[in-house]
Amino acid sequence: MVSAQIAAVAIFLVMFLLLVLEKFPRHLVTLACGLATLVIVFGICMHDPAAVAESLSFQSFLSPTFWYSLGEVETTTGINWETILFIAGMMIMVEGMAKSGFFRWLCIRLARMVHFKPAPLFILFMILSAALSMFIDSITVIMFLAAVTVELAQILRLSPTPLILAEIFCANLGGSATMCGDPPNIIIGASLGYSFFDFITNTGLIALAALVLVVPYFYFFFRKHLVPAFPQGESPVSFPQPREAITSKRSFLLSCLIFAAAVVLLITHAQTGLTVATIGVVIGVVTLLAAGKDAPSLLRRLDYATLLFFIGLFIAVSGLEYTGVLDLLAQFIQYVSGGNVYIMVAIIIWGSALASAFIDNIPFAATMIPVIRTLSQVQGVELQTLAWALSVGTDIGGSATPIGASANVVGTSIAAKNGYPVTWGQYCKAQAPATILVLVVATVIIFVRYL
Amino acid sequence: MEKQLIISVSREFGSGGHEIASELARRFDLPLYDRNILEQIAQKHNLNIRRLEPYDEAPKNIFTSRNVKGFSNSPEEQVAQMQFRYLRARAEEGGSFVVLGRCAEEILKEFSWLVSILVLSGIGFYKERTMARDNTPEEEALELMSRADRRRKYYHNQHCRGKWGDSRNYDLSINSAKLGISGTTDYLEQYIKARYALM
Repeated sequence: MVSAQIAAVAIFLVMFLLLVLEKFPRHLVTLACGLATLVIVFGICMHDPAAVAESLSFQSFLSPTFWYSLGEVETTTGINWETILFIAGMMIMVEGMAKSGFFRWLCIRLARMVHFKPAPLFILFMILSAALSMFIDSITVIMFLAAVTVELAQILRLSPTPLILAEIFCANLGGSATMCGDPPNIIIGASLGYSFFDFITNTGLIALAALVLVVPYFYFFFRKHLVPAFPQGESPVSFPQPREAITSKRSFLLSCLIFAAAVVLLITHAQTGLTVATIGVVIGVVTLLAAGKDAPSLLRRLDYATLLFFIGLFIAVSGLEYTGVLDLLAQFIQYVSGGNVYIMVAIIIWGSALASAFIDNIPFAATMIPVIRTLSQVQGVELQTLAWALSVGTDIGGSATPIGASANVVGTSIAAKNGYPVTWGQYCKAQAPATILVLVVATVIIFVRYL
Repeated sequence: MEKQLIISVSREFGSGGHEIASELARRFDLPLYDRNILEQIAQKHNLNIRRLEPYDEAPKNIFTSRNVKGFSNSPEEQVAQMQFRYLRARAEEGGSFVVLGRCAEEILKEFSWLVSILVLSGIGFYKERTMARDNTPEEEALELMSRADRRRKYYHNQHCRGKWGDSRNYDLSINSAKLGISGTTDYLEQYIKARYALM
């Protein structure tokens, strides 16, 4: 078993190193490491074909609870196909929405509501970023919001950087509020059997409390940058019109309907019994049917690399799980905390936040799920408490540095492409205090509410 | 010029590559693109050049950078890509020019009218020139050279398949210490004229 443990850890460390170095596409890295786990850890070291089957988890498709489940859902290990199907379905829906001009229309429509005035626009775009990220992946939200922000900032003669930085933070915060907002939450929810409602009433409330604090924080932090630099007597010539954003009225209306249906299905999935896998498949299929002859182009644009990345990642993590390495990590956390549940929860929140600030929070969350499961069993701590601590830590911690979360990379990249490079110092000066503020609030809420 | 001509000059620090590129640009009556690419980009897009300058020909730090779906948070990467787009656009428009560094031998390699040159010199030539010109102590001069070349190498190798300084990536590699700056420029002028005649 020791040789299997060493092999699993070595494969995992190599995977992390290669992901950081970015020499190879990240899906190839996780797939190769996943394959190495199957062959070396389960095959050569453990001689355990059952572990291979369990890690690939194909049998989960045959389980009725994979598609429909009311009440308790069994926790899963190995490849979490529920997560994969859900992400794929949402990706198809988002592609359809983007093609119809929905996001640009929404941004400009709301900007017009506040007459393109910088300070209200700043606050509105923060809230919009958080609200959209609750249902759509934060990369897509920032991709569209930052592009419109740059366009409007140029017209208003403002630097777009403060707006983009605030939007990034709120996108990560909004993503932490729901099960479908951020990949770590999808993995946590699908692996531990939590519903959309579970997330919104727990991490959602924490995110709301945090939003109430960070909106004024960012406003006061950046207020001096929200003054347009027009020469006296000059004002912007014209602003974009929302209707110009819509590429096709029919597909725009269909996109709005499908998005609304997805939101309803997600909010009610604990009541309807439809699992996120079913919702993903339904939303994806309906979007493709609505797209008609554009369906093949939507499918071609699907981000297969991300889906393959997840598959490889789940297998590599299962190597650590089956060999008991993650149990050792759980024992270590238990030892450090001395069995004190407050310290244990604090380690999970702050440790996850620190790790997520520098490394991809998706592999981190996937690795930590079996750890909190073990901690819960051994220590008798409510699993949900540890799950919310992990969710908040990974989602919020990622905001602290420019590389902590995907939305940060996309947002700062869009700013730089438009001539506003964002340095680490510039980024962290604004985001790190906000991250610490939110983590303190989250720690207090979790301590008071659950312990 | 009747036909398009692009001359890329890559250089080792202290080899006189910049002087050679400037002189070639003068002799062939072509614009020289070096740091001034950023000025042109900044002017065109109404940007503040001071924000971009620190990242000119700078390698990104792999531990503080991340790529997500083709987006990178690294300002060094963004500035490099801006310059590459600018060079490709000028080449596609049919422009003739001399370009100093900026991975041009790789970025523009699909253009058959590109002449790519690598100028190197070795420590002796560099030391002599730098110490005479700036009155710099030897140790400091060597440190400066080593740091600058390391920076260029990392920058180049992050963006190109071919390794920096590998003669297989250039049409011609020349040691400027052997003929001096002026002699090297004369030699290169003859070479470029010969190439141009065959284009």
